[in-house]
Amino acid sequence: MRGTVYLRRYWQLYALLVLPLAYFIIFKYGPMWGVQIAFKDFNFFQGIGGSEWIGLEAFREVFQTQDFYRTLRNTLMLNSLDLIVSFPAPLILAIMLHELRLAWFKRLSQTILYIPHFISWVIIGGIVYQVFGTQSGMINNVLMSLGFDSVPFLTEKNSWLITYLATGVWQSAGWGTILYLAALTGINKELYEAAEVDGAGRFKRIWFITLPGLKTTIVTLLIISLGNMIAIGFERPFVIGNKAVLEYADVLSTYVYRTGLESGQYTMATVVGLFQAIVGLVFILGANYASKKLTDESII
Amino acid sequence: MAASKKKWGKLGKLTLAMLMVGTVVLSGCSSSESGGESGSGDEKQVTLKVEIFDRGTPPSPYTVTDNYLTRYIQDNFGTPNNINMEFVPIPRSEEIKKLNVLMASGGDVPDIVFTYDTPTFNRYAEQGGLTELTDLINEHGPDLKKFLDGDALSYGQYKGEQFAVPSKRAFLGKYSSFIRTDWLEKLGMDVPQTTDELYEVLKAFKEKDPGETGGKVIPFGMTIEPAQYDPLIWSFIEPTTEEQKYTLTQKLGSNDYPTLLPGFKEALQFMNKLYNEGLISRDFSLDEDKKQLYQDVQNGLTGFLTEDYPNLYYDEGTYDNLLKNKPEAKLEPIDPFTNSEGKRAKPQYAPNGMYIMIPKSSERSVEAIKYLNWLSKPEVLLAMQNGVEGENYKMVDGIPMAIEDAPQEIKDRLHNAGADTSIIANGNFVGTEEQNREKMTSNFPERFQDLHRKAMEISMTDTFLPINFDRPIEAEGKYGTNLQSKYEEMIVKTAMAKPADFDKTFESAMKDYMVSGGQAILDERTEAYNEMKSK
Repeated sequence: MRGTVYLRRYWQLYALLVLPLAYFIIFKYGPMWGVQIAFKDFNFFQGIGGSEWIGLEAFREVFQTQDFYRTLRNTLMLNSLDLIVSFPAPLILAIMLHELRLAWFKRLSQTILYIPHFISWVIIGGIVYQVFGTQSGMINNVLMSLGFDSVPFLTEKNSWLITYLATGVWQSAGWGTILYLAALTGINKELYEAAEVDGAGRFKRIWFITLPGLKTTIVTLLIISLGNMIAIGFERPFVIGNKAVLEYADVLSTYVYRTGLESGQYTMATVVGLFQAIVGLVFILGANYASKKLTDESII
Repeated sequence: MAASKKKWGKLGKLTLAMLMVGTVVLSGCSSSESGGESGSGDEKQVTLKVEIFDRGTPPSPYTVTDNYLTRYIQDNFGTPNNINMEFVPIPRSEEIKKLNVLMASGGDVPDIVFTYDTPTFNRYAEQGGLTELTDLINEHGPDLKKFLDGDALSYGQYKGEQFAVPSKRAFLGKYSSFIRTDWLEKLGMDVPQTTDELYEVLKAFKEKDPGETGGKVIPFGMTIEPAQYDPLIWSFIEPTTEEQKYTLTQKLGSNDYPTLLPGFKEALQFMNKLYNEGLISRDFSLDEDKKQLYQDVQNGLTGFLTEDYPNLYYDEGTYDNLLKNKPEAKLEPIDPFTNSEGKRAKPQYAPNGMYIMIPKSSERSVEAIKYLNWLSKPEVLLAMQNGVEGENYKMVDGIPMAIEDAPQEIKDRLHNAGADTSIIANGNFVGTEEQNREKMTSNFPERFQDLHRKAMEISMTDTFLPINFDRPIEAEGKYGTNLQSKYEEMIVKTAMAKPADFDKTFESAMKDYMVSGGQAILDERTEAYNEMKSK
């Protein structure tokens, strides 16, 4: 009885949920029907239903492929490095922005920092080639005119890693500050005033007020990033990578693209996709569990 | 013309709609000037859906699916046969992906589809998605058979069954080399006739910088596209027995790769030397679409390159742009790469072009073959490739020569002429081989025609054909795309290694290549070869 009254009262709020729910059902749960391709010898013309079941044969084949391990290793490597380099970047940037006192300067900096997020990777790729190329890149032109040797930023695998990570920070750090800045507005201003009266300097205030205030946000974002350890976007490694550094740049998503879309081996590609989803789930649950134990913060 | 076509298009839609509802009350409303489409009443009009490449916006007032040539097809083939032609646009750049989606969708697939990609054709055939065409061609395709004379048709077979109509290439040449002869003159050097002489020239380009580039000279323009490294690599391949040719070549995608043939390692070693001495583009591993290469040539930085034979000589093309920047530049075709026998060995195209296929789900296979048959009639081909006599072209020595000063709207009729519309022909067929070549040369600006002729000749000097097995090599379909990537990785890595590390780099790259499918292809080809021999 209380339930119906409650529903009648708040039905608008539930109605608002319909569209997002429909989105998840249609675009996230619906395609799961296709997961069965991983267990079938997929034939184009017979469709998913008509193709023959082959059990785990495709899994066996994928796990025997050397490229699978290479791309898996690279995915984990690039993502861990990204976590170390790119995860703290927005946090630091947000605190820096928070400390700014001039409102117009703060807003201007924010806008400039957001812009790279809206540039597509294809265009960033073009810019990166122009800036970091060995023969005609801007930086190397300057280096060479000063009499230094050119640096193969894009064609030697270790320097490429740095280019890859730096581009990632440049592209996403500004945008990543949004969540932190939102959380920062929630911190009671009086705390800062009280701290100031007690004689706390800027760094003390950051350490004892700002960071604890951001703890929940940091943990949530960390759990989400850990869940994404095994998933990697396609565009960034594909666009920034090239044949000379494939040893590091070839990742699961580019591998799926090659086997699935380019060679038409949908079964193999689905196997890799399913594998990624399962490992991703394990990671996110594990991180959540660990966080609950250690910090009492969790997302589920 | 346009108005009547529009009317006709509307009428066609109306007809379809009526057919769908199941009412065939057409005889009353079919008195338009197109005439006779369903007038007789007892024969129902059918729709034939044909794939067409979408390469961007055509000149106005045309669209990809409604232009002079599609109207020509409708008026001269469709209407007289009571067929409504419908063209289904597919973006050229993502052709295979879109085709896959269309084929998988079943009901909506065009009646005629095509691709240049051998593995894609093999996969469709293997999975039973295509119509077998032998009887249909025998019954409805006499002109088609005549056009694809000889064994051309056999390229459309899969395990002995005719699952595709191959299109026919008019000219089989592929590559030529080009050099800045004005640089040679400046240095007082002769045109290099052998690989060794070329190496000396490249070194001189580097050291003496005859183009005054201020140290930016690129003696040998390189990319990670086959046209830039294929001619060099194949010239290092040693003379091989027939057995070696069949078993050690690897066909990845639609091209033969010499990965396992004797001489391949030496070719890479030579590239390693060129790279380490600064003779080839330093960032060639980044150039996957020749954009940087063309830019460097146009800016007068590049001394020598190999390329698809016609590409530099288009109107407003690379050479034209180079001349704008460096009016004194001369970029001429040469043929310097020699193998151990002194021959200028290089690959050529197989006589087939696209695979034209009719999906199994199509109910219009008879009309489809009739259409291909109509396209291969000489008079139709002439009109489709050259337009209207007296307006678009005039006959000179049996060759239809384009009228250069024809008004733009007349020229625009032919904006999509060629393999996109005359799908059974790749290149111009106007008569003898000699006449075909002349016709193709006439498509280029007059100032470049002599150069084009020479490049054409070079592209056919000492060439060899792709190896063709009588059955598909399944491992090639499976690992091909991945191995192409491995192959390019091998070229880049071995070229960029320090000379002392070359052997080590080559061996590890080759090992990686072999376990990623190279060995599987080798085994299957060896087996297929033995099988072929024992027959």
